[in-house]
Amino acid sequence: MVNDRGQLYTIEGIAAGMIMLFTTYLVLGATSVYTPGDSHISDMQLEQTGTDALQMMNTPVNGTAESLLQQIVESNNGPLFNTIFLDYVNNKTGSRADNLHYTASVTYYDILNKTTVTLPPFAFNRNLSGVEHPVRVTELVIANKQFPGGSGYTPRAVLVEVLLWRD
Amino acid sequence: MAGLKDDAQWIVMMGFVVSFSLFFLAMVLNQSTVVGQTTAESVLDFPKNDIRDVRSVIIDAAILNSTGKISPGQTAVILNDTRAIEMSRKEAVISYQITPPNLPADSHTYVDIHYNNGVTAYNETWVSS
Repeated sequence: MVNDRGQLYTIEGIAAGMIMLFTTYLVLGATSVYTPGDSHISDMQLEQTGTDALQMMNTPVNGTAESLLQQIVESNNGPLFNTIFLDYVNNKTGSRADNLHYTASVTYYDILNKTTVTLPPFAFNRNLSGVEHPVRVTELVIANKQFPGGSGYTPRAVLVEVLLWRD
Repeated sequence: MAGLKDDAQWIVMMGFVVSFSLFFLAMVLNQSTVVGQTTAESVLDFPKNDIRDVRSVIIDAAILNSTGKISPGQTAVILNDTRAIEMSRKEAVISYQITPPNLPADSHTYVDIHYNNGVTAYNETWVSS
């Protein structure tokens, strides 16, 4: 026996069901799984931190002095870079330091062979194993140093590249 | 609509109100994650630090040259290093033109800087003080 009592309840039931289903869909869509592709926000912050540290290191104390980064590149002083760089990037308010790792290398231009050459890392505090998700930060430095491939002893522009990651 | 009673309309209406508000809250929550993502993406895409870096080295070289600390040949080496490194490691094309002071009429050094990485182009004429 079919009668037409309670039509409004039926309509309400269907409407409520659809709204609940759609709300669930939206909520599940909002809390998605965090994949490496979704890490843009933390990447951006990490890149800013690293660039700031390199720029601080490449700022001389006055107009005639050499910057710290310039001295490090010229003398290939990996331990000094390690100390200063880690100090800058891991500094946080409070007693607990941040936990950033890096590997740094220098790239120069080989005039004779007309290629750019990236030297093996001159400083690192953790080997790059391949599972990290590092960001690259760079700084151009003018260094008084002789590199292979001609030009002799003259100021050269070299690129300090740092891969930086957090774990 | 025989047999339909119009009692309890308040309850039915409040049910609708509550479910619609839940619906809009979920929509807001859903959008909030996307907002931070696109902002961070556009910040990462914009080569602010690259441009500052290139600009700083070219102007430094021009200043070192005009103050006589390095020769024109050494300036050319620094600038060519910068151009080659930016091209191979940063996929950016840069070009530059340093115009020395034209004494006595004009005592300023002019440095034209052009930067283009395919997404962002930056052009500047820097004038020494």
